[in-house]
Amino acid sequence: MTQKVLVVDDARVVRISLGRILKKLGFEIIEAENGKEAYEAMNAHPDIALVMLDWNMPVMNGYEFLVAMREQERFSENPRVIMVTTETGMPSMLKALAAGADEYIMKPFDESLVCDKLDIVGIAYNRE
Amino acid sequence: MKPADFAFLRDFLRKESGQFIEENKIYLLKSRLEPLARRHSLEGLEALVAQVKARPRDTLARQVVEAMTTNETLFFRDKYPFDALSTVIFPELMQGMSPNGKIRIWSAACSRGQETYSIAMTAIQSVPSAERHIRILGTDIADAVLAYAEEGIYTQMEVQRGMPVKQLVRYFEQHEGTNWRIREELRTMISFRMANLIAADLAVGLRMHGPFDIVFCRNVMIYFDVEDRKKVIDKIAQTMNVGGYLITGTGELVKGEHSQWDTQRFEGRPIWKLKSK
Repeated sequence: MTQKVLVVDDARVVRISLGRILKKLGFEIIEAENGKEAYEAMNAHPDIALVMLDWNMPVMNGYEFLVAMREQERFSENPRVIMVTTETGMPSMLKALAAGADEYIMKPFDESLVCDKLDIVGIAYNRE
Repeated sequence: MKPADFAFLRDFLRKESGQFIEENKIYLLKSRLEPLARRHSLEGLEALVAQVKARPRDTLARQVVEAMTTNETLFFRDKYPFDALSTVIFPELMQGMSPNGKIRIWSAACSRGQETYSIAMTAIQSVPSAERHIRILGTDIADAVLAYAEEGIYTQMEVQRGMPVKQLVRYFEQHEGTNWRIREELRTMISFRMANLIAADLAVGLRMHGPFDIVFCRNVMIYFDVEDRKKVIDKIAQTMNVGGYLITGTGELVKGEHSQWDTQRFEGRPIWKLKSK
């Protein structure tokens, strides 16, 4: 069964490039432009396996979304969450991990890095 | 890969680094250079070769040489050797170890140090009082990469490849710009020095650091012919304790070719145990 990945970023170009990589790896992509849309998407598709989550976004940022989502019992462990952000400070990483993020990608990213992080969080994908 | 592209890369690498890539190692060119091509938004190796041909003194050409000669550029590369350390090898070696006992480890082609530091991180997490019991030597033939390893400063991309963020926040600190530096806690159990695996006096040069209980020698022997490989393996055996473990790259040693060694399998991959010297 195709696993669903929620790609959350206010920049369309990032959603497209990350979506392209993940599609190639065999995932179905759902997009959201901010934390509020992401929250709605989670409730519409509770079987989403992974969230690729930007931090700085208007309306509701990635961190606020992460906290709100993990507060829901059914999302307390799954989906896996990989932050994908320009926030590169150690304090931000610690804060995201404490809030329930599983991994952290400092932008820019490429396909190999995305694959490495999928391996680490234990999400299977199509290898070439 | 087109024969002409292969011939160009083979000659280019031989001229620039002395490394000789035979036709049966085309997969190596692909696995090392395709990611480089992607990073430069080039469509495959053909486009990469065209660029290098057009501008052989350019950054990309230098990166091609580096990609082919630099080993172990990832932290926790292949993952299984580090899992083998924590679940099988360390527990076995720690059994009956005296309070001041040492486990000596040699990372034999350490390149920029990622393998060496990955061993250290694994040791801290799985050996109680690791700083007292673990000594790690990292060696490489190239001075330039050793300086890099010794500094322990890595770029943002390097610290992300293969390494869980939990390890990053625990064992690194932020350095200048977007760089990260390995913490002192890990550096105290490690030393680095130059060593040439095919030098006649290899064992003598390493004597003060050994004998070793564990040797990592990965993705180096693929560049040697059968005879040199045999010599290197024998030399490594001389530096080790009987019962010690050798971890090579997958497929680098052939079972039965080396009678001093027993093979054990870990997650389907061979690890080698020294039976006798």
